[in-house]
Amino acid sequence: MTDTSTIIQGRIWKLGDQVNTDILHPPSFFSLERERIKKGLLEGMKRLGSGVNSASLDEDLVIVAGYNFGCGSSRETSVRALLACGIKAVVAKSFARIFFRSLVNMGIPPLVCGNIHDRACDGEKCLIDPENGFIKLSSKNKYRFSPIDSHIKKVLSSGGLIPYLVENSDEL
Amino acid sequence: MGNGFSKKIITDHVTGEGEGEYLPVKVDFVLLHDPALVLLLPELEKLQEKIWNKEKVLITVDHFAPPSTVERANLVKKVIDFIEKEGITNSLVYKGICHQLLVEGPWIGPGMLVLGADSHTTTAGALGCFATGMSSTDILYTLITGKTWLMPPTAVRIDLTGKLPPYIMGKDIALELLKRKGQDGFLYKALEFYDRDKAVSMDDRFAICNMVVEGGAKNGSFFPDDITYEYMTKRGGARGGITPPFEDNFQYKEKIKVDLAQLKPAVALPHSPSNVVNAADLKGVAIDQVFIGSCTGGRLRDLRMAAYILGGKRVERHVRLIIQPASNKVYMEALKRGYIQSLMDAGGVILNPGCGPCGGIDKGILAAGERCVSASNRNFKGRMGDPLSMVYLASPLTAAASALKGEITDPGEV
Repeated sequence: MTDTSTIIQGRIWKLGDQVNTDILHPPSFFSLERERIKKGLLEGMKRLGSGVNSASLDEDLVIVAGYNFGCGSSRETSVRALLACGIKAVVAKSFARIFFRSLVNMGIPPLVCGNIHDRACDGEKCLIDPENGFIKLSSKNKYRFSPIDSHIKKVLSSGGLIPYLVENSDEL
Repeated sequence: MGNGFSKKIITDHVTGEGEGEYLPVKVDFVLLHDPALVLLLPELEKLQEKIWNKEKVLITVDHFAPPSTVERANLVKKVIDFIEKEGITNSLVYKGICHQLLVEGPWIGPGMLVLGADSHTTTAGALGCFATGMSSTDILYTLITGKTWLMPPTAVRIDLTGKLPPYIMGKDIALELLKRKGQDGFLYKALEFYDRDKAVSMDDRFAICNMVVEGGAKNGSFFPDDITYEYMTKRGGARGGITPPFEDNFQYKEKIKVDLAQLKPAVALPHSPSNVVNAADLKGVAIDQVFIGSCTGGRLRDLRMAAYILGGKRVERHVRLIIQPASNKVYMEALKRGYIQSLMDAGGVILNPGCGPCGGIDKGILAAGERCVSASNRNFKGRMGDPLSMVYLASPLTAAASALKGEITDPGEV
């Protein structure tokens, strides 16, 4: 995300509660190779029994998940895989803390929203307006997400933690 | 209102103005292992920045240790080349698991703020410090700046009371907490342990703090006491043998009491560490493999307990028993004390110290349909191998008793 005022559009990849990083991106797919990392996420989709598959990656995706999304290992390959596969945002009822930070570090906005999960369908299109704090489903229903913390907003606006570090290198 | 000593440690380390709910803090020590470091090497090179303080970094090679594929050999080479080029003196290659090496070394002690590029960095909290895990890019930021951003956590006070029964270990205490609160019951919280009756050994404390992250906690720390200082004095180094850096006067909104005498040997069923039942209720569940090792269950007390159960006996003939000491120090001490001999006589195979089967990395990977009782920390689907394998988490005592019987067994029954 280059700016929190940019509208995000994508197709929903719906996931349940307590999705851990070992199933989302199995440890055997740890690699420095982008294609290998992407394959790990496809394997994760399969293991999670998702309707989303490799063909879905041609479009932008938005994950809509339940509680404690991304719990478990800190392996950053799981979040890098999301980035490589074109995940534009993750909306969840709650996030595991390391995963939340990793998403921010990679410039993918993690949005906390309690009530969209029950209404969203796998494969449905959605629109996210980060500035005004809502997500719109194809039914036109809007769901508010919790305000993004001002520090998080700054890092996301820079495009992630490394560009943020470069922009703020006078702080060193 | 939930302002425990973790928050005090964080506020004591603040440097500069906060933004939003986050505070910029100075970091006292950073832990890194091979896969976490190798991910950030290209960025580090591009940025052409120096490590802020090489003395405050420990780099280990423990995941691909030694490497089992050509790809991993090339990753490890990059890490070793980096260690040499940068002149990192605190580097331990193939010496054991980073979380055990960190607490064996002289670097950290009570009141310190410690970060690690691994979720189980919480282990170090057993020494009365604030220790938490982050992923590679966060750690890159710290390596360059010596700082990070932290949200001060709400603390939960956990009182461990009474005597530890003979068949109960730290692992059972961790599983009891996960059973009560679930996989996200402690999300973002600091768990602060008080062991007034001095019932829980350092090795058990490490196992407990190691697993707080399975309940979503930011950190798990023991209020430093005689057990902490005795350990540190023996170990030497940072702040050994002095008094706690803070007074015992913290206020907590949430308190949990664990009556140790009431605990029963516990097992977490597949595929969640919080899916906990009593070992005794799983009688008849046949198993293929037992793993005693990892940053949760591969310490000296763990091997001692396993040897106590298995000494002079043989594991059931269908069971493969895999032992992996958490570090070379643990391994050599276990050799000296005869535990390794007992475990091998019982039919066990000993792996060199490292992460190994726990993370599905190498040696001891499970096949489809196989059941393993593991003294490690995670039993997520596919973590230790085939997605159709099943991992039951238990203490080293319960794991050893299960190896003996060929089925999940309460160690009190052998």
